[in-house]
Amino acid sequence: MKSTIMKAVATATALLLTVAACGGGDEPETTSDGKTVLTMSLWNYASTPEFKALIDGFEADNPTIKIKPVDILAGEDYAEKLTTMLAGGDQTDVLTMKNVTDYARYANRGQLASLSDEVAKVDAAKYRGLDAFKLNGDYFAVPYRQDFWVLYYNKALLKDAKVDLANLTWQQYADLAKSLTTGADASKVYGTYHHTWRSVIQATAAAQTKGDLLGGDYTFLKNQYSMALDLEKAGATMPWGTANTQKIGYDSMFSGGKAAMLPMGTWYVAKLLTDIAAGKHKTEWGIAPMPQVAAGGPVTTFGSPTAFAVNKKAKNAAAARTFINWATGPKGATTIAKLGLYPAYTDDAVLAAFGAVQGMPSDPVAKKALAPDQVTLEMPISDKSSDVDAILTEEHELIMVGEKSVDAGLAEMGKRVKSEVS
Amino acid sequence: MASTPPTLLEPVVTGAARPAAPKPVRRRRTALVGWSFILPNFVGFAALTLIPIVATLGLAFMQWNSYSTPEWVGLDNFRRLWASETFWMALRNTAYYAVGHIPLTLVAALGFAVLLNRKLRGIGIFRTALFFPYITSLVAVAVVWNMLFSPDAGPVNQFLHAIGVSETPGWTTSTTWAMPAVIITSVWRDLGYYMVLYLAGLQTIPGELYEAAEVDGAGPWARFWHITVPSLRPTTFFVLIMLTISSFKVFDLVQVMTEGGPGRSTLVLSQLIYREGVREGRFGYSSAVALVLFVIVLLVTVVQFRVQQRGEK
Repeated sequence: MKSTIMKAVATATALLLTVAACGGGDEPETTSDGKTVLTMSLWNYASTPEFKALIDGFEADNPTIKIKPVDILAGEDYAEKLTTMLAGGDQTDVLTMKNVTDYARYANRGQLASLSDEVAKVDAAKYRGLDAFKLNGDYFAVPYRQDFWVLYYNKALLKDAKVDLANLTWQQYADLAKSLTTGADASKVYGTYHHTWRSVIQATAAAQTKGDLLGGDYTFLKNQYSMALDLEKAGATMPWGTANTQKIGYDSMFSGGKAAMLPMGTWYVAKLLTDIAAGKHKTEWGIAPMPQVAAGGPVTTFGSPTAFAVNKKAKNAAAARTFINWATGPKGATTIAKLGLYPAYTDDAVLAAFGAVQGMPSDPVAKKALAPDQVTLEMPISDKSSDVDAILTEEHELIMVGEKSVDAGLAEMGKRVKSEVS
Repeated sequence: MASTPPTLLEPVVTGAARPAAPKPVRRRRTALVGWSFILPNFVGFAALTLIPIVATLGLAFMQWNSYSTPEWVGLDNFRRLWASETFWMALRNTAYYAVGHIPLTLVAALGFAVLLNRKLRGIGIFRTALFFPYITSLVAVAVVWNMLFSPDAGPVNQFLHAIGVSETPGWTTSTTWAMPAVIITSVWRDLGYYMVLYLAGLQTIPGELYEAAEVDGAGPWARFWHITVPSLRPTTFFVLIMLTISSFKVFDLVQVMTEGGPGRSTLVLSQLIYREGVREGRFGYSSAVALVLFVIVLLVTVVQFRVQQRGEK
């Protein structure tokens, strides 16, 4: 009887493997009218207008190619979903890289095709954030968006404030936040809102003090943490624990008039413009440069580029490269600039298109905010980024909920990064 | 051994016990017919459960990132696991969760089942109400409970304040209270299901037993301890096994409610498996953790079976 069982198991396994192997062909897909079908992974297609704009624009210029979006609806879990897809041998042609940490992960695993030939052909000086994608001398993705962090403020709530928003230091920012805090309970208006992400504190400090987030010595984060915790204690920003347990959205805090200021990425500009145009709210908003450690110096902030990459297993690698050249170049840049998004490629024409967007702030403070002197990468890229990120996030939580003092938390960060990440 | 009734571990093999085997040809045909009946189910089981489990067993001794060729590394994954502070934390947290979740759910389910096991007008409404959490979307449950537990604005702490507790816990924002918060939520969610199992068990207890006990002068407590509890033994055993398995593999509730935080205070083993495997692409190491979890659940279950068998003798 036993050998029968073994035979049956073996036969079933062999059958299954055959079936599985027949799953995907390697032939490029085409539509019934002979167009090449290019597949592209992206998130929340319906609520992220840049994808549709890029696809429409590209198809108009390249009538032989049709793009089929692979929409991943849970935008928050995009990285995990894409990781799983790639692990399963997915053949989607163009892969959108939501951030550089994930990019490093895919590239280090050899899941992306090299784009160095494409990069060699372009004027690299005009592509902001391109350097971030250089990995072991090779490029595996080209950025199309370069978001960086600015300070959003509510003009109505700040109209009596006598401060020079264009040259704010963190000390002045903290004092301002405290003076802008009013009301209690339901009518409470916080001076500012710090979102729960660790980057709000860590990436800011790293960029402005030239600290290394992968280094293992995190004392450079101390001042920024002390400032944030002091603001919480003074009631000038929502406690981290409350924001986290209530799953507070930064948009509802700012556009709902619950916070007078908000450090946030430039992607939020497009959302504000769209919502105000659609009549969802009437917030009078402005943008200022991120506050700095000392007054009078250059404007330093941090940013995170978004990029396109080609899957190593792509069915249509050639068409994918055509798309990436178009989308990350001048034409793609103009397309997304018109939506109020800051493209990676910039020249005078692109900047003019960006400034001409209906509702875009054009005062001198905003102009300064949109032209920072230095944009540092949110997280340095290395094969350790992902592991260090997990540790920094865990210890960030413990500091922010008050389980650990700033000093103890930072010491633990360093200890864990040194002992656990090798 | 022959006199004891068959248990789940010893399936009844009627064919083998039959005396005087029929002709080999007919016997083979009978076997083939039997196989063909279970084949559809077996193919699905093999493809989706058996092969992955066997693969995990092998992967635990290899290094593999789902893209490279698996490389044999012997016991390296287990050595790393032994030295990893995070693994021991996750193991402790999983045990903490199980120790809280299993007895609390069992007692609550039994208590409500006994309370609701009577013929009253509208009793169905109460039974349904208690069963609702179990069929509610888990993500919604986790998000809403997280809000209820919010340290400043949450109703739980507001209630505690109202009844005079001055030092209210920080719940999911505190490393001490996060796990109790998760356990309370999971008990609330699961008790309805096990209550239904107990209700079914209660219906099978003959009413004469209670009548006889009452005639002998047994009070409600004595009747509960000496009739209800022993009669429910098979149900309790089943509930215990199911609770144990579900406790050790808990994932979704913790992932949505705390994501293992604050820090690593609610990180459980299945989350560690997911993080190391799916997120970091270290499938070998993650398989090693999975293997450890499998062995733990297996051991606990075997012990429970043994205890149950001894009790029946």
